[in-house]
Formats: sequence, C-alpha cells, structure tokens
Amino acid sequence: MDRIIQQIPRFFSPGHLALLAESVGMTLALTVIGCVSGFLIAFLVVFLRQTPGLWALPLRLIGIAYVEIFRRIPFLVVTYLVLFFIQAFTSDASLFTIAVVAICIYATAYTAEIIRGGFESVARQQVEAATAMNFSRWQTLIGVIIPQSWPVILPPALAFAVGFIKDTALVSQVGVFELTFRGKELNNEGFSGILVFGTISLIYFAISFPLSRLGSRLERRLASSRSQKSRKRLRPA
Amino acid sequence: MNYTFQFGVALAQLPELLKGAILTFELGLLTFWGGALIGLLGASLKTFGGTFLRGIANAYVIFFTNTPALIQIYFLYFGLPEFGIRWDNFTCVLIGLTLNAGAYLTEIMRAGFISVHRTEMEAAETIGMSLLQQIRFVIVPHIVKTIYPALANFFVVILVMGTSIGAVVGIDELTGTAINISTENYRWIEMFVVVAGIYVVLTFIASLSLALLGRWAFRVKAKVF
Repeated sequence: MDRIIQQIPRFFSPGHLALLAESVGMTLALTVIGCVSGFLIAFLVVFLRQTPGLWALPLRLIGIAYVEIFRRIPFLVVTYLVLFFIQAFTSDASLFTIAVVAICIYATAYTAEIIRGGFESVARQQVEAATAMNFSRWQTLIGVIIPQSWPVILPPALAFAVGFIKDTALVSQVGVFELTFRGKELNNEGFSGILVFGTISLIYFAISFPLSRLGSRLERRLASSRSQKSRKRLRPA
Repeated sequence: MNYTFQFGVALAQLPELLKGAILTFELGLLTFWGGALIGLLGASLKTFGGTFLRGIANAYVIFFTNTPALIQIYFLYFGLPEFGIRWDNFTCVLIGLTLNAGAYLTEIMRAGFISVHRTEMEAAETIGMSLLQQIRFVIVPHIVKTIYPALANFFVVILVMGTSIGAVVGIDELTGTAINISTENYRWIEMFVVVAGIYVVLTFIASLSLALLGRWAFRVKAKVF
C-alpha cells in the first residue's frame, strides 16, 4: 500500500498523462473508424442478403454465411486471423490498420443483424406500394425503408459501438498502442498493478458510461417519437 | 504472396484443440452458473432491497458493464499479488469473468423479476393457489418466458467471447491451445482457421441444444440463428 502511495506522483507525471491521453485517442479512433466502416459495409451485406431472384442465391448465401460465421467467432480469434492473413501477403501493413480491419469485420457481422431487424420492422405494404409505383430497389431503400427504419437501427447500433470500446482492449494482444497495451507497458515498467489497472479501468469507465447513458437516452427519445407517430396515425381523420 | 497453406499440419492437432474446446466449455459453464448466482442476488437486491442495497447493486452493475473484462482480469492477475493474494491464472480468469457476467445477468434477471405483476399474484391467490402452485404456475412461466432467450444467448456469448480472453493470461482453452501450438509450428493462419471453425460448430451446438431445451421444457421460442 505504501508503495502505491509513493508511486502516485511519479505515475501521474505530465509525460505519463500525455501517453495515456494519446492511447485514449487511439482506443477511440479504433472504435470509431472500425465501427463506422463496419456499419456502412453492413448495409451492403444486408442489401446483398435481400436481393430477390434465383440468380442472386449465391449472393444471399454469402451474406448469411458471413454474418452467421463471424458472429460465432471470438473477437480475439478474428484479430489473430486478420493479423496473420495480412502479414502473409504484405509485410508493410501497420498494426493500426490490422486492428481496424479486424474491428470492421466484426462490426459488420453484428450491425448487419441490427440493420436487417430494422429493415424488417418496416411494414411490408410500404415496400409493396413502392414496388407498385415502379420504384427500383435502390429507390425503395433510400426513399422508403431507411427513413422509416433508422429510429429502430440507430440506438442498438450505437449501443454496439459503445460496447465495443471495451472490446478493443483485446487488440492490445497484437501490439497496438491503445489504452490496455499502455497499461501493460506501465505495469512492466514497475508501476503497481492496482494503480495502473485501477486508473485504466476508471478511464474506460469515464469514456463508456456517459456514452452509454447518452445512447439509452437517445433510444427513449426515438422510441417515444415513434409511438407518438403511431398514436397520431391511429387517431381517426 | 507466396504462402502455401498446409491445413494438414493444423488438422493433425485436432485432438489437442478439442481438449482445449472442452476446457472452454467447462470455463463457460462455471462462469455462467457463478454469474447466474450473482445475478439472482443482484436482481433481488435491485427489486426488493432498500435504497442502500439497491445502490450497491446498481454501482456493481454500472461499474462492471462499463469496463473491459480484460482489465478486470488484469487487475486480479497483476494487482492482487501486491496485497499478498496470489491466485493462479485459471482462478483469476474464472473470478474475473464470473463477476463480469454477474453484472450482465443481474440486468437480465431483473427484467424477469419485474415481468411478474402484482395483480397476477393476487388473481392466483384468489382462485386458491398455494404458494408452491403460485411459483409453479405463475411466477416461473413468466420469468422463464422473459429471460430464457436472453439467458441462452448470453450463455453462448460468454462461452464464445468470454473464455477466449483466458488465452491472454495463458490458459490452455481453445484459443490458448492454438496460440501455444502455433508458436511451435508457425502455422498461425491454418491453426486459427481451424479454431474459428471449431468455435462456429461449438456455439452452433450450444445454441441449437438450448433452443430445443427451451421449446421442450419451457415452451419458449429461443432463436438458433
């Protein structure tokens, strides 16, 4: 205990604080870039998965297989796979790129399910009406499905991204300089594990807690706007 | 781009990997039941406890759901020895994951607890059900219907995600075994492709059997996919 108190001034020196701030930025950058790109690719995966017609059967199967396989593999294994696959073919990819690709692959699989759920929440008659008016599939998606389903998609997708801030800790295994890796480094330098990992967990908490609060508030707000809309619709004209 | 795949090398290690898969499964089960006990306690405190007890349960849930499980395990593994508490890596992972799972399971179980309405209990009393009958015919069906799908899903998630964290501190579960073997034979890609396949099969079996059990025992529709 005395050792910890002795170490506190040295641990919270400006140099260390700058390092920690830098690694917080790294953690956030990994999460944001990975999850946003994953979210966009997931739209494509869902679009593929819902292509009608016999000729598109392989496309649908690829979409389904992608989602079902990557949702059943631990993130750590995905990270190792991406690391060694990329390194087998090119030796000059940075570790940051590798981590982002791993996060993107994983986020795509999870958000694709969220997006599919959102698309399916749109009443079928809406899509049929769009088809009857000779909308193309793309027009139906942009003009009919997305405007009605984003309040359903956004809150869980945001919750996934916020939850993923914590999962990026596993990327420290391949040596990206994010928060957890920095913590291990400081611990190896001889700082007390309780001090280091206590601080690191408080930092994670300080990032994750406000964001998850914000997310659930957004969810309530969107949910109430949706139910108000349906109440309006139910009122006789 | 001159890498020749040799899956034979990885497949030859299948018995070792399956041994690791069994440990993964055991760790998952232990974590799940430990977490379920904590969750039951936490949910009871949150539902029936006073302000103070509820505050404790809330603080526990909020803290553990907002910090990475890996950091919690590191804290036990690297931090506790400074207080003279030395646990081996298996105990650290088990306790860390159980505490982490307990926080999530508290929330799941609380949802089950509040799904039983007082009016239904009163109705059951009115038609002359004994306490046991009330539990059997009113409380359990309600709770099970609300939480079974979430529990089944959570078990699969814990079994998959949670236990692979153990590899980080050197536990020989599925991922750990793969890392150990790969550092000897340098067939990382092949090993991890095989391991990924085992994880897919393992979780598929787990969610399929849980869905069947749910349908057969509780008439709950749990999703396999």
